[in-house]
Amino acid sequence: MIKNCFLGLLLLMGINAIAQQKPVVKVSGEVARPLTLYPENLRQMKRTTVSLKDRDGNDHAYTGVPVQEILEQAGVTTGKTLRGENLSKYLLVRCADGYEVLFSLAELDSSFTDRVVILADESGGQPLPAGKGPFRLVVPGEKKPARSSFQVTDMIIRFAKD
Amino acid sequence: MSRKAILSGLLLMMVIMTAQMPASRVPVPVTLSWPDYFGNRVFLPAGNPVTEDGIALGRRLFYEKALSSTDQMNCATCHQQAKAFTDGKRFSAGADGVLQPRNTMSLANLLWVRQLFWDGRAASLEEQAVTPLTAAHEMGQSLEVAAAKLQRQRRYPALFRRAFGSDSITGDRIVKALAQFERTLISANSRYDQYLQGKYQPSVAESNGITLFYANTDTARGIRGAGCAHCHGGPKTYSDLFHNNGLDSLPADAGRQLITGQAYDKGRFRVATLRNIALTAPYMHDGRFPDLESVIDHYSEHVAHSETLSPFLQQPLRLTGREKKDLLAFLHMLTDSTFITDPRFSNPFNNN
Repeated sequence: MIKNCFLGLLLLMGINAIAQQKPVVKVSGEVARPLTLYPENLRQMKRTTVSLKDRDGNDHAYTGVPVQEILEQAGVTTGKTLRGENLSKYLLVRCADGYEVLFSLAELDSSFTDRVVILADESGGQPLPAGKGPFRLVVPGEKKPARSSFQVTDMIIRFAKD
Repeated sequence: MSRKAILSGLLLMMVIMTAQMPASRVPVPVTLSWPDYFGNRVFLPAGNPVTEDGIALGRRLFYEKALSSTDQMNCATCHQQAKAFTDGKRFSAGADGVLQPRNTMSLANLLWVRQLFWDGRAASLEEQAVTPLTAAHEMGQSLEVAAAKLQRQRRYPALFRRAFGSDSITGDRIVKALAQFERTLISANSRYDQYLQGKYQPSVAESNGITLFYANTDTARGIRGAGCAHCHGGPKTYSDLFHNNGLDSLPADAGRQLITGQAYDKGRFRVATLRNIALTAPYMHDGRFPDLESVIDHYSEHVAHSETLSPFLQQPLRLTGREKKDLLAFLHMLTDSTFITDPRFSNPFNNN
């Protein structure tokens, strides 16, 4: 009887034990160095805070790593090398639910724009809430926050070829 | 007889002989077509172009019972054309009689689906086909055994030669042919399509239903909406998305989390196409809802909250009885009677 209960318990635990993965953002495509960024990696990179008007109409402060910084670490053509054919490159941001948004590299580069787009992991000193975090793209200054996408999992750089 | 005449005679004979030699046929490529409003975000792998002979072979294999361990089942056992390639059951039984853990999905407009199955675990139709063919509780037979069985049948070696250039029958070629056939299953002739093409005048209920489907409720501006298009997209009524649609606050099936291992994917499942939805009951990954009325009631009043609930379902819709009927009228507009009767998708063995 006790043995049976023990077996039942083990089975129950087995069913519930889904191998839990750490959240991660992968940077791939036209990069010199593909990156796998865990929460602790983002905390060690150059960070900044930006403001975003969210769907509620109010400004919220978000903190994280500028996308340009991530692209530089991955060896993407930024700054002085963002010229010629490299201007036809884009960044595709993919989220856990399959949602995708796109930017031309020039939209994200400080040699073209003063706007700083970040990969945020904090708001008001707190981790982002479930449903939005752990990583959210924050794109300040847009009329709607549709590109400030939740639960980012992949940043893919490619050439637009046709 | 002059030398010239002899030479002409010889030439003629050579021409006739050449014409009678079994020429190595090049498969004829097929260009699939669809309405512009579906968009071209389609997935056609370079390694498996659709051809006339590949599609014909795939169709035959789709209805081939030798592909199951018992010779009693084919793909169409669970994917019946008359029901938009579903079977009306909550859970389908495999060749061994054991029920599947999730509801059988419809096979309409798969060209636009990048991640197949309810949890998105397969990245192509070729990869997807391996599971139902080989899983113990589905058709239950290894691809090697399936290939060997077909190799022994009189007609198949020639059909594989036509489709793939040689008599060799392999598991890889079986799934490639099946995938080619499945890519042709395009449903784009519903009353909604006819409306989009200016050929059909919707009823008042249908017209209201279309508006509700696409609109989001905006109380300040007096706009009523059901916000369905957040996930069910544009005219295709499909987007490649995974959402927790609030069936349970503690999901019994973790869904996409089982694939990604991420806590935020708990209870998330692939958004299903709404094309032919009136034909594909019961609904949801576990087939819990017997009819569309129950589905609309769910989104209107019964969404269960949890950490991973879709951000678009946080507020109950609270639709009126009239609004529910209007949405239902729109959903019925998505039935495509030509899709479910198209002879190109039917059982070729019935004609033999």
